[in-house]
Amino acid sequence: MVKKRRNKVQFSVFDLLLTVVLVLVAAVTVYPVIYVVAISFSDTASIVQNKVFLLPKGFNLNAYKAVLQDVRVPRAYLNTILYTTLGTAINLLMSAVAAYPLSRPNFFGRKFFLVAIVLTMFLNGGIIPTYLIVQKLHLIDTVWALVLPNAIWTIELLILKNFYESMSGSLRESAVIDGASEYRILLQIVIPLAKPALASIGLFYFMGHWNSFFLPMIYLNDPHLYPLQVVLKDMLISDQARETALMDKAALTPQAMKNATIFLSMVPVLMVYPFAQKYFAKGIMLGSEKG
Amino acid sequence: MGTIHPDVLHRQTGRVPRSGLAKMASHIKKDRQLLILFIPCMIFYVLFRYGPLYGLIIAFKDYSVYQGVWGSEWVGFEHFRRFFDSPDFWVLFKNTFLLGLFTLLWGFPFPILFAILLNEVRRAAFKKTVQTFSYLPSFLSVVIVSSMIIDFLSPTHGVVNEVLKQLGFAPKYFLTMPEWFRTIYVLVTIWQTMGYEAIIYLAAIAGIDPTLYEAAKVDGATRLQMMRHITLPGIMPTILIMFILKSGAMFRVGYEKVLLLYNPMTYEVGDVFSTYVYRKGLLETNYSYAAAVGLFESVIALVMLLLSNFVSRKAGGKGLW
Repeated sequence: MVKKRRNKVQFSVFDLLLTVVLVLVAAVTVYPVIYVVAISFSDTASIVQNKVFLLPKGFNLNAYKAVLQDVRVPRAYLNTILYTTLGTAINLLMSAVAAYPLSRPNFFGRKFFLVAIVLTMFLNGGIIPTYLIVQKLHLIDTVWALVLPNAIWTIELLILKNFYESMSGSLRESAVIDGASEYRILLQIVIPLAKPALASIGLFYFMGHWNSFFLPMIYLNDPHLYPLQVVLKDMLISDQARETALMDKAALTPQAMKNATIFLSMVPVLMVYPFAQKYFAKGIMLGSEKG
Repeated sequence: MGTIHPDVLHRQTGRVPRSGLAKMASHIKKDRQLLILFIPCMIFYVLFRYGPLYGLIIAFKDYSVYQGVWGSEWVGFEHFRRFFDSPDFWVLFKNTFLLGLFTLLWGFPFPILFAILLNEVRRAAFKKTVQTFSYLPSFLSVVIVSSMIIDFLSPTHGVVNEVLKQLGFAPKYFLTMPEWFRTIYVLVTIWQTMGYEAIIYLAAIAGIDPTLYEAAKVDGATRLQMMRHITLPGIMPTILIMFILKSGAMFRVGYEKVLLLYNPMTYEVGDVFSTYVYRKGLLETNYSYAAAVGLFESVIALVMLLLSNFVSRKAGGKGLW
C-alpha cells in the first residue's frame, strides 16, 4: 500500500511536468493560427490598439467582404485551385504509371533506370539551368511551367514503387494467365490496389502545389495568373518594405484583410488536415525507409 | 532491392537466347508494353532533371539567349574566378555556413526530445492530440509562416513587442536587426519542422524491445533513468543516420524562407548562396555567373554529404551507403 502510494507521487510529479511542457508545445504550434483567425474577424479599432490576442474583438466579417471584393484574391484562389488540381492529377498519373515498370523485377534496364533516377536526388542543375529549359520550351506564363518541371517527385516515385513491389502478386498472376496486357493489369489491378499509397503521396503533391510560391513567382509574370501564395507574398513583402521605410500605416494592407486572406488560403489545408495527418506520418516513414 | 517473386518470372520462360544482343532484343520485345509505360517518365527525367545538369555548362560559358547553351562562347573558369574574387564570396560563404550550422545544432535535438517526451505520455488521447497539433506548422506554406512571423515581430502591432512593452522594455524592430536574423530563422525552422521530424524518432522508439523497460522497472529504475539508458540508446542508430543526412544537407540553405524574411537591412547576415543565385540569375539575368555560383554550391553540398558519410563510417557507424 505504502509503496504504491510513493510510486504514484513520483509518477504524478513527473507527469505534471510532462503535461505542462507538452501543452506548452502544442500551444506554441497552434497559437499563430488562432491569432490569424482572431485578427481576421476583429474590428480595426481593436487591432490597432493591440487588443486582440486569442479571441476576436468586435466580431465582424468586414475583412472577408473586403477580400472577396478585392479583385486579386478571388482570382488568385481560382488559379490556385486550378494549378493544384491539374498539378496533382498529373503528378499522380505520372508516378502511378512510372512506378509500375520500375516495380517489375525483370524490367529491361531496371537497375540502370533506378540508379539514374536516384542520382537526381543528389545531383541537380539548380534553378538557373532549369529556368532556361522552361524558357526554351515557351512555358513561361503558362500553367505548364508549374506542372511539368516537377511532374514527378523522385521520393514519391520510389515510395510508390516500393509499395507496388510489396503488393501480392497472385491477382496479377491470374490476370497474366488470362492474357491481360500490362496496361490492363496496371489500370485494373495495380492502381486500384495501390489506392492507400496513392492517397499518401497525393497528399504531399497536393500540399506542394497548394503552398508553392517560388515557382509561380519566377515562372509567372502576368498578375492575372498569380496563385494565392504569390498574392499573399506581395501583400506581405510590400507591406514589410513600407513598414521598414516607416511610411504611414494607412498605406498598409489592413491587418484584418491580410489575415483573412491567410485564413482563406489555409481552409483547404485545415479541412484535409484531420484525414491527412495519418497519411502524412505514413508518408514520412515510407520516405525515410527507402534507403 | 530486386528480389524475384516466383509469380513475376517471365511469361515465356521457354528458350533463353544465347548471344547478348539477341538476348537484349528479346528482352526489349518482351518488355515493350512496360517500356511504353515508362516513356513519359524517361522524357521527364531527361528533360527536367538531366537537361539542367547539361545546362550547367553555361557556368563555363558566356550564355546568350540567342546563341543558346551550346552556341555560347566558352570562358572557362572566368565566372568562378570573378565570384571567388568578389567581396560577396566570403560573406555568402559565412552566412550559408552559419545559418546551416545553427539550424543543424539547435534544430537537431528538439524533435528527439519531443519524441522522447511524447513517448512518456500515458494517456493515448493526450499524446495523439499533442502530436496532431505538432504537425500543423509543416502544413502551412512558407509565405504564411513568414507572414505570421513578420506580424508577430512587428514593432507597431506585434504580439512580441506588446509583451516587451508590458514588461517595461522598449519595442524592437527585430527583423531589421542583423544580430537577430539567424536566431529568428532558426527558431522558425524549429517551429516548422519539430513535429514531423519527431515522427521518425517515435517510430524508432516504438521499435525498442518492451521487455527492456519491464526488466528496468523490476530493478527499480526511475522513468528518467529509463529514458536515458533505454530509450536514448535504443534510438541512437536513427539519431546518427539523421545527423549524417542533416549535416550532409547543411549547406543547402533554402532560398524561400530567407527571401521572405530578409530585407536590405539584414542582407549582410541573411544573404546565402541560393538567394544570391536567384538575385543574380533571375532578377539581374546574369545566367552564366549565377549558374557558376549554383554549381559551386552544389559541389560543396555534395562534398559535405560524402564527407559526413565517410566520417560516420570511419567512426564505426553505419553510413548511408
